[in-house]
Amino acid sequence: MATMERTGAQPRFRNFAGLVPLLTGLFLVVIANTPISLLAGLVPSPLLGLVPIYFWCLVRPDLMTPIAVMAIGLAEDILSGGPPGVWTLAFVLTYALVARQRDSFAGLSGVAAVVGFAGAALFACVMAYLTVAALALLSPNGHLPPLLPIVSELAMTVLFYVPTALVVGWLHRRLVGASRGDI
Amino acid sequence: MANAWKIARKSNAQLPLVIVIALAVVLVLLGKAQNGLFDRARAGATDAMAPVLEKVHAPVAAFERWIGSIFEIFSVYEQNLKLKEENARLRQWRNVAIVLQGRVGRYQALLHAVPDPQMDGVLARVIGRANRPFLQTMILDAGRNQHALPGEAVMDARGMIGRVYLSGQRTSWVILLTDLNSRIPVTITASSGKASNIPAIMTGDNSKLPVLEMVSRTVTLHAGDQVTSSGDGGLLPAGLPVGTVVADGEGWRVSLLADATEAQDVEVLNFAKPPEKPPAAAELPMQAAGLKPLPPPPSAPAQTAPVTPVPPVPAKPKPVAPPPAAAVPAPADGTPAPDAEAVDR
Repeated sequence: MATMERTGAQPRFRNFAGLVPLLTGLFLVVIANTPISLLAGLVPSPLLGLVPIYFWCLVRPDLMTPIAVMAIGLAEDILSGGPPGVWTLAFVLTYALVARQRDSFAGLSGVAAVVGFAGAALFACVMAYLTVAALALLSPNGHLPPLLPIVSELAMTVLFYVPTALVVGWLHRRLVGASRGDI
Repeated sequence: MANAWKIARKSNAQLPLVIVIALAVVLVLLGKAQNGLFDRARAGATDAMAPVLEKVHAPVAAFERWIGSIFEIFSVYEQNLKLKEENARLRQWRNVAIVLQGRVGRYQALLHAVPDPQMDGVLARVIGRANRPFLQTMILDAGRNQHALPGEAVMDARGMIGRVYLSGQRTSWVILLTDLNSRIPVTITASSGKASNIPAIMTGDNSKLPVLEMVSRTVTLHAGDQVTSSGDGGLLPAGLPVGTVVADGEGWRVSLLADATEAQDVEVLNFAKPPEKPPAAAELPMQAAGLKPLPPPPSAPAQTAPVTPVPPVPAKPKPVAPPPAAAVPAPADGTPAPDAEAVDR
């Protein structure tokens, strides 16, 4: 627990700060899956829960743990209404990829940072699609799901990355901060 | 100032990543085998969110209308001409429908037809829509408390939208006909007037036009043929309007009558197919026509001698000449006699 000391958090919020990544992820999942569409459902809602996973996996992996990622994916599965476990598996696998390539992803900035997130989101969407396709093929008379909806979901997720990352970054600076070992 | 983007090298993961991945895989398989737990969680979450959704629904719907009006204002003139033409055509069809309805009513009265199963409806409001890559759904403000149960058909004023697949206490999730997981048995009726009902399966593929499958290769479909629910399997009532056949490059699709993106108030049909009861004796055509009921048919030539000989009874009463109109026996298959209509009057 040596890394619980941080620069951004006030002393009274230190215990709470450790939960900020998880709570932010859950909150964004709820926001993204609120069944209200201003465009009459013409475009899918973005995977906002993936943004804090990606962000804190790079900057504070001690707080964005695999079990927290699993909880966020589980919330996405429950609220999105799709086949159970699909986004849980996709988020966890994406987390594993980003954690493995942390040096490469964290070195990106500007447009390259968006491209980096787009790569992670693409990986998540591909994993989700493959999982659903496998489940569909296991079913009698199963059909491969169409590609267009998942591509639209990916595009919306990347589109919403910058504003969501700004909010997540602000929360990180105000409530979480860097770990002591990084200062 | 601390560099917030600086990389932390070590992770204090409570569980190794491999175990979490394995748990996620188990979750997928568990959800495939038994997803009741997920459904209960979804229904509970939607029930909890229902008050908020109902409050937010009105301004969101107003915003949607406002957005839609921006684009529609450029086509008002064309729409007006189109609606006038459609209105004139529909008035003609209305007259035809009234005449046919009267004729059908007379035929049903003559035949003492068993009425179709009664259906109760629950009016519900759409409080949410979700367009996800693997699910297209809408959420209604009616649940088990209002007797909106899984499997029931959801209609708007024009046609069928989908089926309830998950019911909470106060809310329901509707799987749309366009959804990837939607499959319903339908009947295709030729628009040319030929009395042919072609069975098929309508399958959603997340596009606006569901696909017609399982159509016999010996039949020929035409664009504009009517598609209704067939009622096969007893899950849905027969005859619900669904859409019209449209040609696709590879096969046939269905242009739905209902528009799920615009529907605001819908009806959940509480369809429970009751066992069809035979009509009462007084409702049978012969009795209604004033004829004596037939005695039970004689038993087959007894191989063992009957105790008391029964005089042979003709299977059908012979009409007495000249046959009065009321005395014309109705055929056994229920086909009305030529002047049975006058008898009924």
